Amino acid sequence: MPGKNILEMKGITIQFPGVKALDGVDFSLCEGEIHSLLGENGAGKSTLIKCLTGVNRMDEGKIILDGREIHPTGPGNAIELGISAVFQEINLCPNLSVAENIFVGRQPMKHGQIDWNEINRRAEELMSRFHLDIDVTRPLSYYSTAIQQMTSIARAVDIQAKILILDEPTSSLDENEVQLLFTVMRQLKESGMGIIFITHFLDQIYAVSDRMTILRNGHLVGTYNINELGKVELVTKMVGKDMDVIFSLKRAEVKDGAEIVLKAEHIGDASKINDISLDLRKGELMGFAGLLGSGRTETAEMLFGATKTVRGDIFIDGEKIEIKQPFDAIKARLAFCPEDRKRDGIIGDLSIRENIMLAVQSRKGFMHPMTRQEQEELADKYISILGIVTPDCEKKAGELSGGNQQKVILARWMAANPKVLILDEPTRGIDIGAKAEIQRLMLEMCKDGVSVIFISSELDEIIRCSTRIIIMRDREKVAEVDGSTCTQQDILRIIAEGAA
Amino acid sequence: MAGVTKKQSLWGRLTNPKYIMVYATIAIFLVIYAFGAFLYGNKGFLTVRTFVNLFIDNAYFGISAVGMTMVLITGGIDLSVGAVASLTGMFIAYGTTVLHLHPLTCIFAALVMGVGLGLLMGWVIHYLNVPPFITTLTGMFFARGVCSLISRESIDIHHPMIDALAGWKIYLMKFADGKWVRIKPIAFINFNVILFLAMILIGAFILQRTRFGRNIYAIGGNEQSAALMGLPVGRTKVLVYGFNGLCSVLAGISYALYVKSGWNLSLQGGELEVITCAVIGGTLLTGGVGYMAGTLFGVLLKSIIPALITFNGNLLSWWGKIATGLLLLLFICIQRVITASAGKR
Repeated sequence: MPGKNILEMKGITIQFPGVKALDGVDFSLCEGEIHSLLGENGAGKSTLIKCLTGVNRMDEGKIILDGREIHPTGPGNAIELGISAVFQEINLCPNLSVAENIFVGRQPMKHGQIDWNEINRRAEELMSRFHLDIDVTRPLSYYSTAIQQMTSIARAVDIQAKILILDEPTSSLDENEVQLLFTVMRQLKESGMGIIFITHFLDQIYAVSDRMTILRNGHLVGTYNINELGKVELVTKMVGKDMDVIFSLKRAEVKDGAEIVLKAEHIGDASKINDISLDLRKGELMGFAGLLGSGRTETAEMLFGATKTVRGDIFIDGEKIEIKQPFDAIKARLAFCPEDRKRDGIIGDLSIRENIMLAVQSRKGFMHPMTRQEQEELADKYISILGIVTPDCEKKAGELSGGNQQKVILARWMAANPKVLILDEPTRGIDIGAKAEIQRLMLEMCKDGVSVIFISSELDEIIRCSTRIIIMRDREKVAEVDGSTCTQQDILRIIAEGAA
Repeated sequence: MAGVTKKQSLWGRLTNPKYIMVYATIAIFLVIYAFGAFLYGNKGFLTVRTFVNLFIDNAYFGISAVGMTMVLITGGIDLSVGAVASLTGMFIAYGTTVLHLHPLTCIFAALVMGVGLGLLMGWVIHYLNVPPFITTLTGMFFARGVCSLISRESIDIHHPMIDALAGWKIYLMKFADGKWVRIKPIAFINFNVILFLAMILIGAFILQRTRFGRNIYAIGGNEQSAALMGLPVGRTKVLVYGFNGLCSVLAGISYALYVKSGWNLSLQGGELEVITCAVIGGTLLTGGVGYMAGTLFGVLLKSIIPALITFNGNLLSWWGKIATGLLLLLFICIQRVITASAGKR
């Protein structure tokens, strides 16, 4: 059972321009404890973590570590104090080797120079503790996200942190990798480390945590032992309202005889996609299911012209068109929200207004600029429709929480009034309330006659919303099932066995 | 998980993908060298003297390229190096010839000026967040302006110490008939060559064997991550520009020894030649990748082209610029392809 308190945060208050990000929040962590920190986007989880790692200054409150009050001045200082953080976006250097990423800044020295043999030997040892038998001298960029994530954790472990913060570490891992991570977390816990675990996967919270603390809108809801609170209660406390929204979602229905909007026949390219055919009807929501790397994203990119189609034909409204580049797709009123919103979607330095108007403006052509007033009206309209939490439409999009950024991207394409909207993992890394919201918005668009292609790793979402589901495996379409009749087991079986 | 098997053998280390660019440089150098040997082998292209002259005629670029490589690895750029080297020459020429100061005093003053300016530019770049291009452009105008303030005429350098240093050489010998004799045609290395090679070694040691050097790579890989890993980003960047200032001054000294004069318009565009050396040596302009071995061959590769043109005898020397341009283009393209394919993984 957890030992004495190692960390205590009391009455933490942080004021941002226009928003109180945290308001008198208390948090404590014991030795050898895994403590989940929960809350919706914008609830203040990240802010609390940033306060602990010295990225954000707190306006009020104190942090006590091992009985002494501390004032972390930045990540470097926090690390010296024994607080290490591993973030969802991997904060390592892709050009350095795995081994060096673990040791950079504190390399073992011998005769006044870096002892590379020692670095590589110790890195290998650390990685083998995580059951990873890899060449640690290769650059980090050579490896998968999961290994990069593990490298990040290995660094924190080797620093002998007293407190390890894992901020959404599992969102890019597959099931085996998650289990591996949990094994490592339990090992670390045994050794007396206190772990703060942030995730949006409820099952994972129950799988490893000892206690959980729930935040909502910058306020503390409470701290509970893991067996004290069931899932439904937990979600209710997080969202602050009942789960009715998510259960009241109605699958997108397609009227008989609805015309086919988008049709793809045997499309494929040189390496990523073998052969995909599909037809999407007006107002239909089509789910793409399959494992990571099964070709879901690649198919979407191909439809949108982001990667080149080598074989096959694409028809829109029955007319064959050439999609060579995204511009062609946009002209045909296709819209695409990519998976990695930070990299491909949101432009962090632009305001919400500018982000939203991008697609509209691009369709109109730059010869016909929108007036400032039109832009503001447009932005304000979608901020209120989608419930984007922001003081005004001039806030930089990069400063918003993940869920709100996703809504901004959605707004961008909704404003462009598309015929077909392709959403690649729109609910990745955002919390339940925002997920429900995004799904509701998607379904409403379908009702208005937009056809949606919805890619998600979470099968329950896909099954809940989709009219039809396309199942992919090894870069091929292996089955097409009806959303209203299939179950999660059916889909899993098809993914595993490769045939309907 | 990715099934990459462990390879720690020498072969495994050598085939590490991070060295691709260096290999490309060496390979292209060898191809061009072989080409020269094939065409002008009978005219003496293959002699040791031709090879050593590549070093002698370009040592000052090479010395500066050592510092430039580090700056480029951090993801920055420094346009002031040519002007600072020129200013160093002016310090030495004006100081010794007009003011009758000892050359060491002039060199000391130049070091204070060059390193100081470098540190200042680094500070402005990091703490005031001014893009390196703009900051160092300002530095370039400043240094060039001071050059012209000192004198608008070329000043010859006459000082016993400078003459001795410039004239000092080690003849390359061979062992024949039981005694050491100078090889024919006569080939020697001078102070500049030794300084160049020493700087390459020092640069390589800093980059590969010190924490400071590894921080340079980390910053170039991802500056934000480097900060989050607790690395001293600001200090490292400031020191890198300071070190580059030092290299510029050493390059200036080396150039002064080479031409034995100071001129306010010397080495104009030199910064671009230096950047070219680093880039065709496999240093990524986007930062994070670069090796001293690559830079060494980058300098040789850039200097072998004028050598070839000299051997040809009929071509205008401007063809050298065109060839260098094409070479640079080729390397930028290779870099794009490599970074693009690395990003796809």
